[in-house]
Amino acid sequence: MVQLKQGQFMQAVGNAAEINELLRRYGVKFGIYKNGVFNEQFFPFDPIPRVITAEDFCSIEKGLVQRVNALNEFLYDIYHEKKIVRDGIVPEDFIYISKGYLAQCEGITPKNRIYSHISGIDLVQAKDGEWYILEDNLRIPSGASYPLIARELTRIAAPNAFEENNIVDNRGYAELLKETMENANCGGIRAILTPGRYNAAYFEHSYLAELTGSVLVQNDELFVEDNILYHRTYSGGKTRIGVLYRRISDEYLDPLTFLPHSLIGIPNLMEAYRSGNVGIVNAPGNGVADDKGIYYFVPKMIKYYLGEEPILKNAPTYLPFYEDDMKYVMEHLETLVIKDVAEAGGYGVVFGSDLSKEKLEEFRKTIIAEPRRFIAQEVIDFLDLPIVEGEDTVMRKADLRAFVLSGEKTKVWASGLTRFSRNPDSFVVNSSQGGGFKDTWVLSR
Amino acid sequence: MKQVNFYYCAKLTFDDYVHNHSFALRVIPPETETQRLLSCSLNITPYVSTQQTVDAFGNNVTSGYLKGDHRFLDFEIKGAAQVDHTKHRTDYMPCYLYQSQYTKPDDALKEFYTEIKRECTGTVADRAEYLCAALANTVVYEKGHTGTDTTAAQAFLLKRGVCQDFSHILISLLRMDGIAARYIAGLAFCDGETHSWVEFWTGDHWEGIDPANNCLVNDDYIVISQGRDFRDCAIDRGVMFGSYTKQLQLVRSILS
Repeated sequence: MVQLKQGQFMQAVGNAAEINELLRRYGVKFGIYKNGVFNEQFFPFDPIPRVITAEDFCSIEKGLVQRVNALNEFLYDIYHEKKIVRDGIVPEDFIYISKGYLAQCEGITPKNRIYSHISGIDLVQAKDGEWYILEDNLRIPSGASYPLIARELTRIAAPNAFEENNIVDNRGYAELLKETMENANCGGIRAILTPGRYNAAYFEHSYLAELTGSVLVQNDELFVEDNILYHRTYSGGKTRIGVLYRRISDEYLDPLTFLPHSLIGIPNLMEAYRSGNVGIVNAPGNGVADDKGIYYFVPKMIKYYLGEEPILKNAPTYLPFYEDDMKYVMEHLETLVIKDVAEAGGYGVVFGSDLSKEKLEEFRKTIIAEPRRFIAQEVIDFLDLPIVEGEDTVMRKADLRAFVLSGEKTKVWASGLTRFSRNPDSFVVNSSQGGGFKDTWVLSR
Repeated sequence: MKQVNFYYCAKLTFDDYVHNHSFALRVIPPETETQRLLSCSLNITPYVSTQQTVDAFGNNVTSGYLKGDHRFLDFEIKGAAQVDHTKHRTDYMPCYLYQSQYTKPDDALKEFYTEIKRECTGTVADRAEYLCAALANTVVYEKGHTGTDTTAAQAFLLKRGVCQDFSHILISLLRMDGIAARYIAGLAFCDGETHSWVEFWTGDHWEGIDPANNCLVNDDYIVISQGRDFRDCAIDRGVMFGSYTKQLQLVRSILS
């Protein structure tokens, strides 16, 4: 059990309005496109922290390091020898039909063979205390800035809580991120590439640039000359960029390699990258490893590449692609959650229990027609966390996005983003679905 | 075996000055088992410093950045190669078995395949030749109806197209039939511009087939680039800034 005094909770609770007001003033927002209109939303903060015991964190940490190391091995393998396919562990279809697989990245080896420098791994804790992995995010996982800024503000609002409890300081994220970027640096300055202020995570891009001492750039300030990436300076000169933490999707990264009409990319960036002249964080092509279909195979990858038993479990998952699994899914559809592998951000998630008889029948047909498009999972009855709502404390579903950084070593940030659903009947906690967030306190003992 | 001299040039002209022009050219033929380069030179004007890389598909990429104002970009490549199609290429990639952006079939193309697949039997080469002939009987070679953005499904709907369209439809059919296939951009004796054809994987090596002419590829063909479809093989791709409204491209190629 958590050894925190109720009084401190209440103090934090008492300051909820104050903290949310501060967040508003700091501009801690995220943008959403809905029906083609851009809206900036406030990401509501709940002052009751999620507390993770030292013991729990220790096993989560080991499990996440293991998982991310295996995923990095997998990415190297897929873009080189493809042993895991040849050995029959992962069916070939799953790789080459995946939208995240980019043939243009074949044969490219990033510096130190690290593909996923910053991994956002989503976990939930079941009612029996067991942690389950829900999703790996190896492309451009966002959200690290929220717990950082929330902690900063809670420190101001409830200083006693930090004096009287053994809470691991989470301010090390800046140093961790800087270290990770430096490890991928091919000679030059650090830069964070943002698509601009109309991006959902623009606040985060600017905040992380400030914290890590990186230049915040947009594509029109960058160019590639002689296979070297440069930042155009105000005085008309140029500064070489050694590592680019890009916050734009793979397809838009280089219009001469990927989508030709991309207006936010940098022409010939891929040639500079292929030549080893610039590090790209995270590596392009990572989407093949965080595909919802590939998720099923991660425990197998851990055994295959590391020869170890997976420490953290996947949620029980079925692939309609396999005959046996299809049969199970057809028979149990009403109790399962079905995910469209091509969607993200909580979109394309359907709970069988929410569907009428007719809709279930219709959905069965869709799955039979496109078995590769879906995965089905048992609904994990995950732990509710207390949330302040008006004068009351109510219980809501919450998950945890843990951040794993791969530099010289793979490290887990002793914090994370706890997201909760504000709707009492919903299991979907994504910020784009109107959820809120909490600070995550990892206890040192 | 045959010794072939090749020459190829393209002129990009803009009606107003452009600047900050990044380009990537896929014009230098790759050195392979089938073709050995005896000589090769590339000239680009205006003068620009360039870099050479090899992309994921084995293509030579020449990239450059023209910062200042200019109204044209010309490039000219000439050389000689020794071509021997009895020597086979074996640079296989599994992605060639899967449909790509330009080759994804629609219902009409799938239906066409279903109708003809009963007769599609024998060795991989037999099947490829059969599909190529079936395509030649259905689609007519005619310029002016399709463009570089036209997909296999769109060209099939029109029932006409040029070499690029024939290649995309044949690749789509081959992949539906479980045969890995790739797009080839190159030069051939029968053409005054650049040509395109298809290679299919026999299970052991690549074989060339020319669907626009419904024939097998021989020593009169020089490969410039290869990939999943046209997208991977575009001879020139570029991004430039300026208030230009149109660009004109003149292309000429000679094999001798």
